[in-house]
Amino acid sequence: MEAIKNALDFSDFPRVDLMVAGAVSIALVVFPIFPHSSFAMSTMIQFLMFSLYGMGWNTIGGYGGQVDLGKAQYVGIGAYTTAVMLIRWDIPFWFSMPIGVCLSVGWSFIIGYPLFRLKGHYFAIATIATSLVLKDIFEVWGFVGAARGLEISPIEFPPPDFMRLIFREDIYYFYVILVFFFIGILYINWFRKSRLGFQLRSIKDNEDVARSLGINVHWAKIKTYAIATAFVSMVGSFHACYVRSIEPEDTMSLDISIMIALMAMLGGAGSLWGPIIGAGILIPLKSYLKDWLGAQAGLVGIDLILYAIIIMLISAFEPRGVWGIVEKIRRRKRN
Amino acid sequence: MDILVGSIFAGLLIGMILALVALGLTIIFGVMDIVNFAHGEFLMIGMYTGLLTAQGLGIDPVFTLPVAALVGFLLGIICYFGFIKFLIRGPMVAQLLGTFGLMLFLRNLALLIFGSEDRAVHSGILVGKSFDVGMGIIVPATKLAAAGLSVAAFFGVWLLMNRTKIGMALTATALDAQGARYMGIPTERMNALAWGIGGASVTIAGALLVNFWSVNPFIGLLFTMIAFAIVALGGFGSIPGAFFAGLVVGIITEIPGFWDFFSYTFDADWMMNVPMTSFKYMWVYVAYFVIVVLRPRGLFGWKQ
Repeated sequence: MEAIKNALDFSDFPRVDLMVAGAVSIALVVFPIFPHSSFAMSTMIQFLMFSLYGMGWNTIGGYGGQVDLGKAQYVGIGAYTTAVMLIRWDIPFWFSMPIGVCLSVGWSFIIGYPLFRLKGHYFAIATIATSLVLKDIFEVWGFVGAARGLEISPIEFPPPDFMRLIFREDIYYFYVILVFFFIGILYINWFRKSRLGFQLRSIKDNEDVARSLGINVHWAKIKTYAIATAFVSMVGSFHACYVRSIEPEDTMSLDISIMIALMAMLGGAGSLWGPIIGAGILIPLKSYLKDWLGAQAGLVGIDLILYAIIIMLISAFEPRGVWGIVEKIRRRKRN
Repeated sequence: MDILVGSIFAGLLIGMILALVALGLTIIFGVMDIVNFAHGEFLMIGMYTGLLTAQGLGIDPVFTLPVAALVGFLLGIICYFGFIKFLIRGPMVAQLLGTFGLMLFLRNLALLIFGSEDRAVHSGILVGKSFDVGMGIIVPATKLAAAGLSVAAFFGVWLLMNRTKIGMALTATALDAQGARYMGIPTERMNALAWGIGGASVTIAGALLVNFWSVNPFIGLLFTMIAFAIVALGGFGSIPGAFFAGLVVGIITEIPGFWDFFSYTFDADWMMNVPMTSFKYMWVYVAYFVIVVLRPRGLFGWKQ
């Protein structure tokens, strides 16, 4: 009960924040009622998915300050668990998703134990290495379809099917992921005020001091890494049912890992709203840029060039992200 | 036996070039404590430079090295003054993502300009020739020349770092930037120089590599990871370390050859069924992981 009360308690935010958050929530809930293109709908779903990825990354990367660039491997584990179980044994989504989470978390413990003996650059590059190893294995492993990947055919599993999460219209997917999204926000709101959340922030500020205060630094990091992993793996499972065709290249590539980290970075790592703001800016920008410049003007890759320029500008001039700018303005007003 | 010796030899040859690829990364890291994710993209630019100069001027790819070195030097300096200078003031997260942004930028710029198809050198005095060394080892002339030139370039950079005043100033900046500044060393310029030398050495490696390796805009990441593995094994910031680690990693990339050798020797069917060539580069990543976990300092490193 205490945990639920804590999760629902947003009273430490200024009132403006809560009003904006409430308005955005209502807008999200009623959005599908208004006329919209299917392109807008899929962008919206992408936005919600990447906010969730970003929230997961934010626990370890934002509150904990450990730059993890290997989150894509857990997207892959989640997506593949769901797809393989559905295709081979006809196990519905709502059962395979927790199994996928268990597998991901198990794997995160196995590699997390040696990983968190590393710091800084070494840690970041080692997470990339593990992710690439897993991707290479999935690319030749025949059981999971090797490089061709897996496809959930709509003939074999006729839509609509809530248990297997197979629908024809995107609107159902939208509401499913929206529920995940709200639960995710409540969880993170609880997490940041929990014992682990405070431990983690003290580790970020000064690891040696945190250790001298009696915090088990290694274990706290591993636990948080597992939480982040669970988030990412859940959305990965959803991804499998949503796109219905997965392959190693588009679920486990380094680009996905970086995108995940970028959401939180751009919005503001270490704040509750950061990943949501980041995804809200980057995802529409990316998909519309790709549509206008890539497909219509015929310039392949120019959307990614603009994207790269944004990354470079943000990291060079405002490393604390959009939320950092907002806080700076607020501080100036107060003085 | 032939396969075994041949694999070791091939591994050592490619390792000499990979060592040159990693040299730039280790210099930049040693001097500035920044990890450059765009390193493989610098290599890709070196490869395109070699290719296009050779085709445009109609000269042999081997003689394009000075052009590649110049391009790399300028690229490094431009990157430093235009971007990295602002980046190093921020936290480590921002540095990592910033150089990743640089990587994405260069890769997609190349995609926009050159298109996504593979390109390769088809003519040249070395292309298509090979030596029979005996014991069943046949060495392509391009690889041999590239390895030899890469060792020469490596030795040149080593001399520059250890036998000249500029090299000493660079080392001083690497050891203690603030102390170096008190001694009157312009550390800002030293940082830029490190990027210049790093860029030049990696583009030379690219111009050598293009003689026997086709190039496309996406080739960078693989070499970035290989370079990271070499630098981690040799020790971040160590130049001799990078050379020996390059040889080791070169041999690691030849693991499929050893696998074949053992599966023929033991006549083991299950070994032949494993698609080892698909795992060719996986062992590099595994090696990186094992090295940094077991010995974060690397073989010759002096930085933790």
